[in-house]
Amino acid sequence: MKGSVLIIGAGPAGMRASAELLNQGFKVILVEEKPTIGGKMAQIDKMFPSNECSTCTILPRMLELTSNPNVTIVPFAEVKSIDGEARDFKVKVVKNPRYVDPMKCTACTDCFPVCPVGGLPMEFNFGRGASKAIYFYSPFPPRKALINPEKCTYILEGKCGDKEIPPCVEACKPEAIVFDQKSLEVEFNVGAVILATGMDEMKTESLERFGYEKSHNVLTALEYERLLSGLGPTGGVIKRDDKKEPQSVAWYVLNNPSSLGLMTAVAEAMGTIERNPDASVSIFYEDMDLARDDYVDYYQTAKDSKINFIKTECISIAEGKDGNIDISYDKESFNAEMFVLVPPYAPNESTLKLAENVGLELDEWGFFSKKTEDSHPLHTRKEGIFVCGSAQEPKGIDDAVIQACSAASHAAALLAPSRGKELVAPPKKDILPVTPGDEPATLAVICRCGLNIAGLLDMEEVIEYTKSLPHVKHVELTPFGCDGVAIKELLKTKEFNRLVLGACSPKTHENLFFLHTEMGGLNPYLLEIVNLRNQCTWVHSTDKQKATEKAKTLMRMGTNRATLLEPLENIHVPVTPACLVLGGTPSGISCALKLGQAGLNVYLVDKEEDLGKAKENKNRIVEKMIDELDKKKNVKIYTEAKVGRVEGFVGNFRAEIIKSRGKENIDIGSVVVATSVDMRAESDEGDFEKDLLLQRDNKNFFVGMLGILNPLDFNTDGVFKCGSARKVMGIPDAIIDGEGAASRVAGVISKEELVKSPTISVVVDEKCDGCAYCIDPCPAQALTLIEYMQKGSVKKTVEVNDAICRGCGVCMATCPKEGIFVRHFKPKYFEEMINAVAGSV
Amino acid sequence: MRKIDGKKFMWDKAHYLTEAEAMEKMAQYEKEGFETQLVKEENKYLVYTRRVVTEIILEEGGQSL
Repeated sequence: MKGSVLIIGAGPAGMRASAELLNQGFKVILVEEKPTIGGKMAQIDKMFPSNECSTCTILPRMLELTSNPNVTIVPFAEVKSIDGEARDFKVKVVKNPRYVDPMKCTACTDCFPVCPVGGLPMEFNFGRGASKAIYFYSPFPPRKALINPEKCTYILEGKCGDKEIPPCVEACKPEAIVFDQKSLEVEFNVGAVILATGMDEMKTESLERFGYEKSHNVLTALEYERLLSGLGPTGGVIKRDDKKEPQSVAWYVLNNPSSLGLMTAVAEAMGTIERNPDASVSIFYEDMDLARDDYVDYYQTAKDSKINFIKTECISIAEGKDGNIDISYDKESFNAEMFVLVPPYAPNESTLKLAENVGLELDEWGFFSKKTEDSHPLHTRKEGIFVCGSAQEPKGIDDAVIQACSAASHAAALLAPSRGKELVAPPKKDILPVTPGDEPATLAVICRCGLNIAGLLDMEEVIEYTKSLPHVKHVELTPFGCDGVAIKELLKTKEFNRLVLGACSPKTHENLFFLHTEMGGLNPYLLEIVNLRNQCTWVHSTDKQKATEKAKTLMRMGTNRATLLEPLENIHVPVTPACLVLGGTPSGISCALKLGQAGLNVYLVDKEEDLGKAKENKNRIVEKMIDELDKKKNVKIYTEAKVGRVEGFVGNFRAEIIKSRGKENIDIGSVVVATSVDMRAESDEGDFEKDLLLQRDNKNFFVGMLGILNPLDFNTDGVFKCGSARKVMGIPDAIIDGEGAASRVAGVISKEELVKSPTISVVVDEKCDGCAYCIDPCPAQALTLIEYMQKGSVKKTVEVNDAICRGCGVCMATCPKEGIFVRHFKPKYFEEMINAVAGSV
Repeated sequence: MRKIDGKKFMWDKAHYLTEAEAMEKMAQYEKEGFETQLVKEENKYLVYTRRVVTEIILEEGGQSL
């Protein structure tokens, strides 16, 4: 049996399935047909209905994946065949030639300016923006150059420029260009396969009726997303091809059976209003079926933002001489400077070929949703091959994520005996010993970030200034700090005990930079990231001189703080390998079963006499699950029971089970709430909702963690929700929800211990007098007031629960005596930074 | 301060020369509802205590967010 899983498609679903499986101890082979990962989520600006920035959300997840030694990412490749059977598949993958060795390419971009072939339309931007024949496919990882063989003069004509050696080869110091590179077939042996190939816009000829590909100012929704994106061809400014910023934009949602098309139009219209509050914005639609409450709320917000919604069954368009589009409908008209079509969704172009290669049938629409014998939506007709996300049918990102978690739980259950067996141990760390008080020797690395930083600052001036700062021993300029090459090489000399990195936002890149720092042999908490991009060049892009001055101040603040930093070690929390599932609902049953199949211990608690209430729904899958659950020795079912008090924290909860005949305490590492909406926890015997800090909304559903990628998570670590505890849903969706929650749980309880950041609160007992002002404001309820005896008197202080403290700093802000601080964020660190700014005034 | 079995205990700042002396003090503390721990360090016995405060009364003048 193999403990690796092949995942086809590196969009949000494929990436999430990968992350879930890695977290549960399985190795992942992630194959993506495009040269970079992220799928459509990397191309859009904001996600509905939360309006979160898509790039900011997905980029950290991409970087986590690309830096994980247990995932093999195979970009720009296609799966040619899958032979064998579940638990032992042989997979052939063909890697397309990129004519650049990705192992050697450092993304320095030295080859770009010397390439004589320019002005090529960028596929990632749907033809907008221009690239050379050697280029980056997108701003996303893996950031490695590739050559367009249909445009490269050397590949087409055998010669480029006057010299014998092509200019790109001459410019490439790492000698990464390989003109004779051919397609390469590689073989993998995996235990399971997940299809996550996603969806695309259906660009049929009918779009031409509305001016598509005839007028420059008629775009599809995905094309418009690239104009909204800060990383798009116009830097997030909506512009027509004639550079005009439109004052009126209209969307036409074409015959969408689901609400996705309308929600897409709403998100884009809101993005347009955000940029230009005076813009006239209208959405034409044929039918409105908002399937979800949060979609209704989003629609209402849009209506309140002056967006016009026009229901019409027939529109016609004509392009004026000024390039504007005259839209006629119901005897009225609207003049739009840009017109955006929202077509129906279709499977990705490569889906049919993949289905043929793999030997699977598609449904009438071309998706992998052909009914199977057991009717499970994520099963295919081949055991061990699962489908998820929009490869199954079009869906929003949050639903795709839930399916990805569910598919991961199926693969994990199938390969349970091989869990952890193929994992590569992390490389042995050779960390430089540093003690507080050591003379700082600072390495400053400044990232060009392509032109994001280097194009908007006087880099020479910033470098020279940084060299002059106290304790700075060396300053290095690097093309992309996120590749880690310069950081690791320089730190490995062991000449530096502090690292100041002038780069981008810690919010997106901190984990990655921590990893590079540690791999270079320096404790990661001796790294200080200076955000030269988001907080300087991006917000002062029109004034190079002032931006340069600000960059110097930021570098001074960073180097000052770095001198005070101390090495810290991660916190290890032991885990009880069991889970409590609350509720014998379809989602509770599917969750318990999937965990049981994965070899994990489960306690399933239901108030009914038996699990028959779920069975009453007469769903074949649920009936089968209940029968199978009864046979699982590692699943203990408590009927006519409820949960009383619950105490503890992630990895280590204790719950009281109240049965008709007495009580029983169980120890668990995680909790899943899968109760029906009408079930309340509160009673004289305890209230688990209160104990676990759970909240409900005005419709009585549980409120979870914010963020479109966290639909099954609560804010309380180690506690998850699914099914009817979350929202109204049908049985198939509830089953998938439960299985998704099982994956989230398995990520906690399949480990012997949890590793946690050391940036948590620390009490200074000498200063703390137990005034308790910090206790109540703590959002994690991680603080306890304790009394103790000292020299015959009762004194008070505060105790921090290391396992649940999140290091948010609220306690630090409330303490009037400097009696508590967050490690890595001591008050004196901030004083030093403020002193650095004051010094510049 | 010592973490014992994941709990924070504070030293009572006394050195007890014999185990019996320390145990006697611990019994006194326990009568008052404190959890106690005995630690032998070199030839001395140290007593650590803690008691969770269940009802918190805030003094006026604190900072609020």
